[in-house]
Amino acid sequence: MFESRSEKVFVTAVTALLILLSVLALIPLLSVVATSLSSKSAVDMNLVTLWPKQLTLDSWRYIIDRPDLWRSFALTLGSTLIGTVLALLMTALLAYPLSKPEFRWGGVVMIAVVVAMIFKAPIVPYFLTLRGLGLYNNPLVLIVPHVLNPFNLIIMRTFFKQFSKELEEAAFLEGCGYFRMLFQFVLPLSKAVLATLALFYGVVLWNQFQHPLLFLQNPDWFPLQIKIRQFITDDNVIMSGAVSSADLNYNERTLRAVTVIFAIIPIVAAYPFLQKYFVKGAMIGSVKG
Amino acid sequence: MRTAALQRMKVYWPLYAMAIPGIVFLILFKYIPLAGAVIAFKDYSVFKGFVDSPWVGFKHFETLIHHPDFARVFGNTMILGLLKIVLVFPVPVLLALMINEIRKSALKKGVQTALYIPHFLSWVIVSGIVFDFFSLSGLFNVVLGWFGHEPVLAMQESGYFRVIYVITSIWRDAGWGTVVYMAAISAIDPQLYESAMIDGASKVRQIRHITFPLLLPTVLVLFLLEIGNFLDLGFDQVFNLLTPMTYSAGDILDTYVFRTGIQQAQYSFATAVGLFQSVIGFILVFVFNRLSRKVSDGGLW
Repeated sequence: MFESRSEKVFVTAVTALLILLSVLALIPLLSVVATSLSSKSAVDMNLVTLWPKQLTLDSWRYIIDRPDLWRSFALTLGSTLIGTVLALLMTALLAYPLSKPEFRWGGVVMIAVVVAMIFKAPIVPYFLTLRGLGLYNNPLVLIVPHVLNPFNLIIMRTFFKQFSKELEEAAFLEGCGYFRMLFQFVLPLSKAVLATLALFYGVVLWNQFQHPLLFLQNPDWFPLQIKIRQFITDDNVIMSGAVSSADLNYNERTLRAVTVIFAIIPIVAAYPFLQKYFVKGAMIGSVKG
Repeated sequence: MRTAALQRMKVYWPLYAMAIPGIVFLILFKYIPLAGAVIAFKDYSVFKGFVDSPWVGFKHFETLIHHPDFARVFGNTMILGLLKIVLVFPVPVLLALMINEIRKSALKKGVQTALYIPHFLSWVIVSGIVFDFFSLSGLFNVVLGWFGHEPVLAMQESGYFRVIYVITSIWRDAGWGTVVYMAAISAIDPQLYESAMIDGASKVRQIRHITFPLLLPTVLVLFLLEIGNFLDLGFDQVFNLLTPMTYSAGDILDTYVFRTGIQQAQYSFATAVGLFQSVIGFILVFVFNRLSRKVSDGGLW
């Protein structure tokens, strides 16, 4: 392929710029990691930039010993796992009939789904409705409102629609009903879309902030994001239980850095899956939407 | 006729049974709250509920228009919305065009990974990182110190709020925003580039005359969706970046509704604010969709 000198310069310049931008995107993360592993005095003397100074795990030890943080972590992990499974079930149960022409309510329900996707209710009547349903100060609010998302529903319905009619007809002749059809044939063949949607739901559940902020008053039920928000904004919460600040090897800032990294670790661990399936999902979504 | 219907039900009832939980969910969590928006025209009372609370017409909207807070909050929302469209929206388009030029696929993957990661962090975490970055001993002030500058507490000064809003929006979501554009670019027929190269078109000209025009319909659709969310700046983001010192620049409709509606329990008034916001968004999409259909055949509908 013929390529002039100016072309090469252009491509090299673009590549260099992108590498620079990637590094810039990671610098804030790196700086928080460095802070979380540095000593109090190094931080106070403005020595910490992108790598730890006076390396210490003291801040990490203090945070790891906080039972309230682990409680929030367990609550968030549990509600994310249960919520994701429930959401896939709820989504599949509605997406399957919607993918069948013989389901006569299909047209109306589909319009209802699209309208629900476009029009968002104002937050106050939404809050009042859920409170009326008994979800105020109820940890179920971490799961129940998230188990069906119209956008995800449309993705799953689109996927179900491409199953061949022949396979189903053969199964029906064998006397297999719709329920068995869905759970024994359709879902096992839908692993790709299930994985994508599991991650869509999972990230929303893990990262949720507004629902617990609106509905949960009891600190026992604070999920991780609310807990970390407290740690970020409230010195007393994060330092509670610390004996005296004179001989400590950590301060508010190093502890805060630890909590932030603490909450990022699960995301980074899941990241290889997240990227792969999210890109796939975004493609399906963009084709449809 | 009735026996036929009965016969139908005998075979198809499982489909209807399956659909019921989802339909109930949509009614309870989407449609009742949507219908509940009528309390913007009522004096909502907890004991009477959505239906029986007395009608008051446009009373709350009149209060709203004359409320001194409203002008400030609405102004802040407009400014941030405009900044988002002008400064944040074009970034993924540029990034996608650039990423497309990288030859080595390993490098391409690395760049994409680095740019995607922030998208998966919650706004609480992002705000934690940002607060750390701009803290007194944070990286920002350390670097300022090298150049002999006095430290700046950017998170506590309203003058910096809009800049921080724009930067965090780009940092978290611009990389991720390239996904859709990359998909659109990869769908372009390679023959177009081949014949352009035979004609001696340079890289820059190929981008200008092939990639960009063919990407434009996608850009337009996403632009329309963005316009519809013009006043919807993201509650989580603004709420978490806000400090009491930055209210004058960062208090927006979403945070205002949260304070007046949920915390101070002025239910009807806050619903009026929310409804006002939705209606403006809807009008904007409608108008821009008309315009875009006039200039090209693209558009949402």
